[in-house]
Amino acid sequence: MDGKVIVVTSGKGGVGKTTVTASIGAALALQGKRVAVVDMDIGLRNLDVVMGLENRIVFNVVDVVQKKCKLKQAAIKDRRIDNLFLIPASQSDDKSIIKPENMVWLCKKLRREYDFALLDCPAGIEQGFKNAIEAADEALVVCTPEVSSVRDADRVIGLLYAHSITPKLIVNRIVPKLVEKGDMLSHVDVVDVLSIDLVGLVEMDDAVVVSSNTGNPIVQQKDSKAGKAFNRIAMRLDGHPDLPVEDPMGHDSFWRKIGKKLGRKKQE
Amino acid sequence: MTIQQPPVKLKGVGDSLWITMDASLPAETLKQELCKPFERLQHLAVNARVILDPGESQADDSLIDDLGAFLQQHFQVGRVSGPPKAKITPAPAGQEGSETGRNAQNPWLHHSDDTLVIAGRVRSGQKVEARRHLVILGDLNPGAEAIAGGDIIILGSLLGTAAAGQPDNENAIVLGLDLRPTQIQIAGYVAAGTSSSSGKKPEFASLKDNQIVMADYLKDNIFKRLAWPEIR
Ligand SMILES: Nc1ncnc2c1ncn2[C@@H]1O[C@H](COP(=O)(O)OP(=O)(O)OP(=O)(O)O)[C@@H](O)[C@H]1O
Ligand SMILES: [Mg+2]
Repeated sequence: MDGKVIVVTSGKGGVGKTTVTASIGAALALQGKRVAVVDMDIGLRNLDVVMGLENRIVFNVVDVVQKKCKLKQAAIKDRRIDNLFLIPASQSDDKSIIKPENMVWLCKKLRREYDFALLDCPAGIEQGFKNAIEAADEALVVCTPEVSSVRDADRVIGLLYAHSITPKLIVNRIVPKLVEKGDMLSHVDVVDVLSIDLVGLVEMDDAVVVSSNTGNPIVQQKDSKAGKAFNRIAMRLDGHPDLPVEDPMGHDSFWRKIGKKLGRKKQE
Repeated sequence: MTIQQPPVKLKGVGDSLWITMDASLPAETLKQELCKPFERLQHLAVNARVILDPGESQADDSLIDDLGAFLQQHFQVGRVSGPPKAKITPAPAGQEGSETGRNAQNPWLHHSDDTLVIAGRVRSGQKVEARRHLVILGDLNPGAEAIAGGDIIILGSLLGTAAAGQPDNENAIVLGLDLRPTQIQIAGYVAAGTSSSSGKKPEFASLKDNQIVMADYLKDNIFKRLAWPEIR
């Protein structure tokens, strides 16, 4: 059976696309799936550093597309997690070196080789974004509880729908204390404006910063709230779509209701 | 199964009545067919400008004149003429939206009716335009734009920018069930949205003494005072 290509995107930069890609990729692999994480941020590669694999890069995704190497040759096996592979970006090229038609070809290969391929999309809505969404089957939109991030996510959601992709939402970097004081947008308001299927609420967590500096996957740290949230998102993507979304604010039953209201339907 | 085209079809375009007809039929048949919609319209047809459009079929000026005189005599319509010469040519296929595949704005671009009613959520970066009134059954998100020659009515949350009465209709209003706009324009006037508007109740914005003011629609409904229902 063919695998799924999921693009992780946001519009706004620095909201956690790379973190989400690495973490959910790791979680899916730990659940026994064969997973590739692909860095589509050509010219500004990050995913290799977050995963602690930067010193193993020989080939990159541009080499694959230009047929200078096989997909398998560019895929770097993770140090700790079996079945997790990184396909790094090229650091020296420009985003325009990859064309949308190249992506159709690449995604076909990825589907054949892996159960899940997660594409780490660059910020913005230009060529790099268009490439990343071109042949994706699904999209995860990452958004933080900030007005500007919500605005950009909304723009991206419109573009994804226009491309016949139904997006799912992750709200990242939630600080419950600030929300309580009214100093941070509540995720209820974020979901209200964006009104797409919610798959995860991730708290601001210092362990994320530490793990991305050490290359230790956050999803393997049992006491990390963010890690737990990423694990649950991975389960929702992989056969448990009805697993309730846990609310960092502690209103658990309330969120279950919202989840139902948004109609977490299977799209087959 | 083939769908039979009615010999005469009527719709409102701008401030005129646009009639599409099959001119290959005899004049008497056409007159009979024309009576049906005009009888339904009754006084609304009085003084209305009427355009008789033979579409693909051929009609000479004498037929238009004959039918025009008939309509003026029986239904007191205003000026009757054939369609304007300059045909609206649709953009070559594949030009619009080719960039993003299915462009969400496409269905609205070719809309030729007066009032545009759409359902759904208009998102940041999207723009909806109506020649006259615009009704949205849904929300207008922050960063989205609604533009209309007449009124803008949002049966949902209005959080984006709404420009009604473009370019110069100072009677236009903007109405929302939850009015918390980024900006409102009416004719040439602009008002920045303030965080003071609470939303969650039907409100409308209108021009009063060269200023855009907002009011509670249920308490302050300007139309309640009209002596007679009128066409907007
Ligand atoms: N839940 C979180 N808690 C704490 N820090 C986080 C969290 N998510 C992301 N960060 C931090 O935020 C920063 C930006 O994250 P990341 O690089 O994943 O964003 P990005 O969207 O990929 O950015 P870019 O647009 O530049 O590619 C990083 O330093 C990351 O460690
Ligand atoms: Mg990144």
